[in-house]
Amino acid sequence: MENLIVSLLNGVIYGLLLFMVSAGLTLIFGMMGVLNFAHASFYMLGAYFAYALQGSLGFWGALLASPILVGLVGVVVEKYFLRRVHHHGHAHELLLTFGLSFIIAELIKLFFGNFPVDYRIPASMDFALFRLGDANYPAYRILMGSVAVVMFILVYLLLTRTRVGIVVRSAIYKPRMAEALGHNVPLVFMGVFGVGAALAGLAGAVAGAFYTTNPNMALELGVMVFVVVVVGGLGSMGGAMLASLLIGVITSLSVGVDYSLADILAWFGARAWAEQVGGLLTLKLSSISATIPFALMLLILMVRPSGLMGEKS
Amino acid sequence: MQSKLWIPLAVGVALLVALPALLSQSLVNAAIQMLIAALFACAFNLVCGQAGMLSFGHAAYFGVGTFATVHAMNAFNGAGLLPTPLMPLAGAVVGLLTGIAAGWFATQRTGTYFAMITLALAELMHALAPHLKGVFGGEAGISAMRMPAWGLGFGSSTEVYYLVLAWVLLSLALLYLFTLTPVGRLTLGLRENSQRLRFLGYDVHRLNVTVFAISAMFAGIAGGLQALNTESANYVLLESHVSAAVVLNSYIGGVTVFLGPALGAALMTFFGYAVSDLTRSWLLYQGVLFVLVMMFMPTGLAGFIRWVGTARRAHGTVALLPMLCAGLLAGLLLTAGTVFTVELLQRFFSQDYRAMAALNAGAGWAPIALFGRDWLPTAVATWAVPLGLWAVGAALVRATARLWHALQERAEPAETPTAQQGSAL
Repeated sequence: MENLIVSLLNGVIYGLLLFMVSAGLTLIFGMMGVLNFAHASFYMLGAYFAYALQGSLGFWGALLASPILVGLVGVVVEKYFLRRVHHHGHAHELLLTFGLSFIIAELIKLFFGNFPVDYRIPASMDFALFRLGDANYPAYRILMGSVAVVMFILVYLLLTRTRVGIVVRSAIYKPRMAEALGHNVPLVFMGVFGVGAALAGLAGAVAGAFYTTNPNMALELGVMVFVVVVVGGLGSMGGAMLASLLIGVITSLSVGVDYSLADILAWFGARAWAEQVGGLLTLKLSSISATIPFALMLLILMVRPSGLMGEKS
Repeated sequence: MQSKLWIPLAVGVALLVALPALLSQSLVNAAIQMLIAALFACAFNLVCGQAGMLSFGHAAYFGVGTFATVHAMNAFNGAGLLPTPLMPLAGAVVGLLTGIAAGWFATQRTGTYFAMITLALAELMHALAPHLKGVFGGEAGISAMRMPAWGLGFGSSTEVYYLVLAWVLLSLALLYLFTLTPVGRLTLGLRENSQRLRFLGYDVHRLNVTVFAISAMFAGIAGGLQALNTESANYVLLESHVSAAVVLNSYIGGVTVFLGPALGAALMTFFGYAVSDLTRSWLLYQGVLFVLVMMFMPTGLAGFIRWVGTARRAHGTVALLPMLCAGLLAGLLLTAGTVFTVELLQRFFSQDYRAMAALNAGAGWAPIALFGRDWLPTAVATWAVPLGLWAVGAALVRATARLWHALQERAEPAETPTAQQGSAL
């Protein structure tokens, strides 16, 4: 029972982390129609900036400064790269961000080396918050979850309760009309792009210390984030939240499940046959837990192609 | 127009046939890699350039082709139904079947969704492969031997080269002929306006799957040739950087021209081979080149060549020459400045150098050996080199732009009446 609760909690927190990255991605997509391939690279940049700055600013200072720097990188990407190719269409923008993600990963390798760096949580946070059964629950995980929740609430309030939020939402909904009413829509786009990037950077700075910080982290998380937005429905914040939590919990739970397809077939008396066939049928769920989100995505595409909360295509 | 294209094409094929006699053994090996990459890029371009569907996971179909061929090589031992020269057929069949299955899912959606689904499918395959030991051989991979067949030993690179060349030329010809068939023309319609195709009564999803599967089949053939060349297969083949490389190569070459991706893939593979001993940052240069192409030359190298051809007809070779020379020089200078900076930084941030610096703390920064000279990282003169190169390069870019404007203005009087007419309408 305790194990289940710990797994659930881990899953929810991983899901919140996924949401922190996918929220910016889906917001930018909803607004500009651009799928930002480099979004997960911003996550990686956040972790590396925090790692590089923690020597001079301390852990908490780096945690604050790193998202701001990443946000500035995002602004530069939008203003000097994406805007220049906007007239070539969305596929072109996607390819450009793809190239940028490639360059960012290679630059990281150039400056920090092609191996994990020693970015870890500070000693002051390295304690167990409470015990569940015989497991100590690390306080830092709770901190990661809280950061995500606070961020979500702030963004939600900003979008729904402030004047800035109204302008942003109108720019998403009808950019030309908003522009005709005298709002600086390109500035809004740049701002949202920067804020989205900063959110991903914050997620990276927080999570990089707990998980590993290496030049592959962008790709690993990026693919998962794409799965999240397809499952949730592109452009839908609620969908992204739901799908993030779903995928976080499922991956976390499946690691602890030691059954294979052969065990299911055993109910029908076909275990011997399944073990003879081998391959996919005898693989334990725990060993292929990394593939489950992809399977879930294929399932969603079959039954509901527009995603859990997406609009009809 | 058509007849004029035959001459360079024939010359190119003749050159390819004569290549092993002209080159050393290691360069022939590089040429084999280039041919395989070119075929893979053209197969990719069928989906990407012609049907307008961006696939970020084409390594999966290349990879299954390689694995299928290695399995076939072990099963048939170069005899029986599938002698060694026909082995890539196994890759083709498995590529086609995988393409049908994956394409059915991927083409449920178009545009951005399609790109993400193909990426996820490839990652799914990559995540699953190490666990399926029987098929993919786990971490170690599987290997096979090229058996003699048809009186040929296939022991030397030259024989492999001719086998690969034959397959690549045949496949490229088939791919080109496909573009001339009615289905091939409809493929262009998918890119331009699939809504309209649907109104005209075509089953768009089935058409999408067909095109995707054919592309996957030719990617499988390229994978099969890779298996014949390396005699082994490892799940690393399914990694995302293989998919990324084909996207980069195709767009650098230019997806709007049939042979553009082949050109890009061959060039990039050759450069990758040539500089792999000299630099560790080749992928960075490739990425930078790709971004530059996407921003300033969206039609790629092939589009650029075509543009030069049009400009030459419009202005004459002599008038164009100073501008092209200035542009070329500017490019060279900017490249030199960038390469110098990147290589210097790479050495400065390398682990060896860091360890050295930590060892001799207090002695200041040691000079870095680069291009046959020692450079002090703290000296102004060191950084003045790339800055100077960039400054001169940027000035030359300006000059090129000015020359081009001057050319256009000189050509203007002839065109003005039509332009005015156009604006009046």
